[in-house]
Formats: sequence, C-alpha cells, structure tokens
Amino acid sequence: MDMELLLGIGRFVLATTLLLLLTVPTAFIIIYLELKVIALMQLRVGPNRVGPAGIFQSAIHGFKVLAKEDFTPDQADRPSFTMAPWMVFMAAAMSMLVIPFAPGMVAIDSSIGVVYFFAVLGLSVVGLLIAGWASYNKYSLLGGLRSAAQMVSYEIPLTLSVVGIVVLTGSLSFTEIVEWQRVNGWAIIWQLLIFPAFFIAATAEINRTPFDMVEADSELVAGFATEYSGMRFGFFFFAEYVSLFIMSAIVVTLFFGGYLAPWPFPAQLDGFLGVLYGLFWFFLKTYLFVFLSIWMRATLPRARVDQLMGLAWKVLLPLTLVNLFVTAIIVTAFGL
Amino acid sequence: MPIPGSGIFKGMATTLRNMFAPKVTRQYPEVRPEIPDRWRGRLDLIYDPFGEHKCEVCFQCAMVCPVEAIDMSGFDSQGNRIRYGMPEIYDERKDANAYRRAGLPARPMRNPARWDEEIDAQFVNDLVTGYDARAEALVAIFAAVQARFGYLPERALRIISDRTTIHWAQVFGAAGLGGFRLLPVQGHLVTVCTCAACRFAGGDAILRALTARLGIEPGETTDDGVFALETSPDVGAGALAPAVRIDTLVYGPLTDEHALHLIDERRHALDAEMRQPAPTAS
Repeated sequence: MDMELLLGIGRFVLATTLLLLLTVPTAFIIIYLELKVIALMQLRVGPNRVGPAGIFQSAIHGFKVLAKEDFTPDQADRPSFTMAPWMVFMAAAMSMLVIPFAPGMVAIDSSIGVVYFFAVLGLSVVGLLIAGWASYNKYSLLGGLRSAAQMVSYEIPLTLSVVGIVVLTGSLSFTEIVEWQRVNGWAIIWQLLIFPAFFIAATAEINRTPFDMVEADSELVAGFATEYSGMRFGFFFFAEYVSLFIMSAIVVTLFFGGYLAPWPFPAQLDGFLGVLYGLFWFFLKTYLFVFLSIWMRATLPRARVDQLMGLAWKVLLPLTLVNLFVTAIIVTAFGL
Repeated sequence: MPIPGSGIFKGMATTLRNMFAPKVTRQYPEVRPEIPDRWRGRLDLIYDPFGEHKCEVCFQCAMVCPVEAIDMSGFDSQGNRIRYGMPEIYDERKDANAYRRAGLPARPMRNPARWDEEIDAQFVNDLVTGYDARAEALVAIFAAVQARFGYLPERALRIISDRTTIHWAQVFGAAGLGGFRLLPVQGHLVTVCTCAACRFAGGDAILRALTARLGIEPGETTDDGVFALETSPDVGAGALAPAVRIDTLVYGPLTDEHALHLIDERRHALDAEMRQPAPTAS
C-alpha cells in the first residue's frame, strides 16, 4: 500500500515536472509560429536571422525578457503584483495535468477531468484581475475588469457546449471520452453544430483575436500587462501561449479524437510505439488548431466589447442550451 | 444578400492565399536595390489629389540641406512671394561662366563679366521699380537694361531677380533665350583720318556718313558699345586716302558706301554671333 502511494506520488511529480518543462518549448514554438505565419500572411518574410529560418527567435525573446529590469511601480500592491503572473501561469500549467497526450500519457487520469480542467483554467481570470488591480494603473484595471467580464461570460457557453459530449460519452474523464471516440467516431460528427460555439467560446476564453479586448493594445496599451516588465511580463506571455496550446489540445481531445489517428488502422499499437503514434497525431492536430488561431489573428479585427457580450449571452448561451437538450433527448430516446 | 459571417471566410481565404504569395520584404543589407550612379532621388514636387503642389514652401528642406543645394521661392498664405536664401548660391561656387550656365557652348571670355562688376545699380533698381517689380515686365526690363549697358550684366540680372523675386535660374534662362547679350561686346574703334590728304580726297564726307549711320559724334560711343568714333590726323596712310582705321586695320581708299559697308559688316557679324538682332531700346 505504501509502495503504491509512493509510486503514485513519484509518477505525479515526474508528470508535473515534464509538463512544466513542456510549457517552455511549447510557448517558444507557438510564438515563433505566430511571428512567422502572420508575417507570411502579411507578405513579409518574418523572423529569419536567429538560427535557420529564424527558429530561435522566440528563444532569444525569452532571454531578452530575462535580461530586462523587473520593475514594480511605486503605488503597486507588491504581494499581489508579484503573485498575479505566477497565478495566471500556474492556472494554465495545472490544467495540462488532465490532458491525455497519448494512450496512458496523462498525469492524472481523473474521473472528473473535464470539471477539473474548466475549473482550473477559470482560475487565470483571478490572476488577470489581480494583475489589473495591483498595477495601480487605469489601463491595467480596465484590462483586468474586461478579462473578468469576458471570461466569466464565456465560461458558461464553453462549459455548456462540452456537456453535450459528456452526456454522449457518459464520462467526465478525458481518457474515456477519447476512447469513446475510438469506438463511435470522432465527437465532431455527433456534435458538429455546437463545435463552432465551443471554438468561439474557447477563443474568447483565452483572449485570442478577435476577442482580445483584455490586452487591446490600441485601447488599453497592454491591458492588465501594462505595468509588467521583465520575467513577470514573460510569465503572462508564456501563459497566453500555453493556454492557446491547451485550448487547441482540448478542442482536439473533445471533438477530434484526441490522440487517435483519423483512420482506424493500425487498430491497436501497443507500448512505446503506440505512445509515439498517439503523440504524433495529438500534436499534429493540436498544432493545426494553433495554426487556425494564428490564422484568425492574422485576419480578423477585434470585436467590440458590446458585440462580445451580446454574442455570449444572446447567441452562444441559447445555442448551447438547445444543443444540450437535444443531445439529452436523443441519448435518452435511443439509449446510446 | 451576403450570408452573415461570410466575410470572415473571405478574409481567411485572402490571408491564406497571401501566405503563399511572393513576399515584398527586401533583405536590405544582403540584397540591395539597383540604383543608377547618378540617381539623386526624386527631384520633382509631389502633387496632392487636388492637383496642388504638396510643398508649402516651409523652407525646412532648404534649411537642413547640408550642401545648401536648395533654394526656393513661392507664395505664403497671404499671397506674397517669399524666397529662401541668396539666389543660386550653389551655382556661383560651381561655375562663373555665364554661357555655360545659360546652356550655351562655353567659349573663352573676351571680356569676362563678373557678377560683382561695377554697374549703375541705381538705374536697374529704378527701372524695376518703374515696372512695379512685376514679373510680366521681365522682357521689357531686359530690353531697357541692354539698351543702357549694351548687354545684360550679371549684376543687373541679380538685382532684377532679387527685386522681382523671379527665380534666378528663370531670369537667367530668359536672358539667354531672347535677343539679349550676356557679355559686353568688344567695341570697334573707328578712326577717320583727318590728315590733309584724306580730307582732300573726301574724308569729311565719310565722317559725315559714319556720323549719320552710327548716330554719334566723334569722341562718342554708340549706346550698345559696339562702335566708338574718333578722328585722328595721323592714321599715317596718305597713299590710301581717304582712309579709315577700324581697330588695327586701315582701309582705303574708300567711298562713302565702302565705309558704311565696313561698319554694317561688323555689326552683322556681331548680330550673327549673338544669333539675333538686338531688340531696339524702347
């Protein structure tokens, strides 16, 4: 019994460490992708100086951030000012714990993974609000309040659109949801109509264009991050891109079969090979959605605040509720 | 009726197409544009959409130009002519040859005209004032100046440019294209011999004819400075009586017609050299 507990703790520590380490290359890769893809879409060349095709550009950015002065404004509330970036980053990093990267490759195969995930991801809004308040800056405060309003609004359609899948699969565990999709086909087939709502809500939840009011550079300087510099700003930046990765991962896991290949063969790969195969498909699909998000950022203008709220409460909320009822009725009627 | 939201997909399609389109970035230090050696940038002024010059004659470019290559004139908001700097300072440093600057083939100067030569500046000033310093009167002013000095002295042109605020290059261009001379002509000294032999052979008649033709008395110079008439009892060419000496050449024996022909010949040669007959002074 004790041995089992120790093994469990060791596994947890190892998995957490690996996930924390994973955030670094993930953020670097996504930042590089964003720089490069947006540049290409704007007919520019993009980063091409640091390393082949500029692939080390974001790493250099990271070192630059490390070298900068970590400045705290005089009037700032020091403890919360220091804690906010940490909180935002940890919310993102902790939510990765329940994502299955490959068969068996999940830090905690929790039976309430979906609930845990959305609960922990929702914590980042607290961090943003604290950052906005502690900075003692009107732009920061506005950014923080906007993030609170926006994320609280979109939590609801985001979660409600997932409940349909939960009803379908009868499970709150991500692993079981993925395995259900191995048998019944990807959930996007079953929940096609609600997927756009989920994707929009997810985009708003992580403050990506066209819903990036929280940072709205042209209105709020940099929103909640206005007063931040050095590595504390770096953590915000990291968290932003890590949560982009996480949102893409959760889209893939819930709707696009997670680590499953798009075709049924090879039916079952076991052991190390199976893990690699799963990892390959998981990351491929996840980065496709990362690309989609970057693509949207290169294309779409920022929505207005009132449009944002209207969309959440007047369109997405009824849509997700209808979807939930219809799914529930079908599941009950046909005994799926 | 477009489907709501279809614009999003149109935009996404555009950005995706652009992703694979040729890029416009120039990798500057490595890839340099091919610029001709003599390229000095854009030299004409830019127009606004209404067809007006965008230049507001604010002089900022002229003030910062390190080689003082820019001078300019224009109208201020009140409609007054304004100008920056001494006219054509740049030009003076480059070349003092009036012909070359006027675009004419350069030739050795017989009587180099200097921009600071002494002329009757007051005359030019009064003349310009008499025309109210109007730009339209430029040719009339030129004619009067040439009638006064026999050519258009550079100094006079500068005064005219300053007073009328016509750009120096335009003043000079106008002076080069009309029937105006930019250099003083070298005058011919016409000496009629008044020795006994010549007077006996008809020298007095020749003197009268020349006086009538040139419109001057002995001891005077024509207005345009081409001919100076004098008499001398010692041309020393009794065998050629009646004799006339023009500069260093002695002609004789002459009739009246012959003597007038010699004068006309020189004037025609001079006019041909100046390409056009000088306009008569008004």
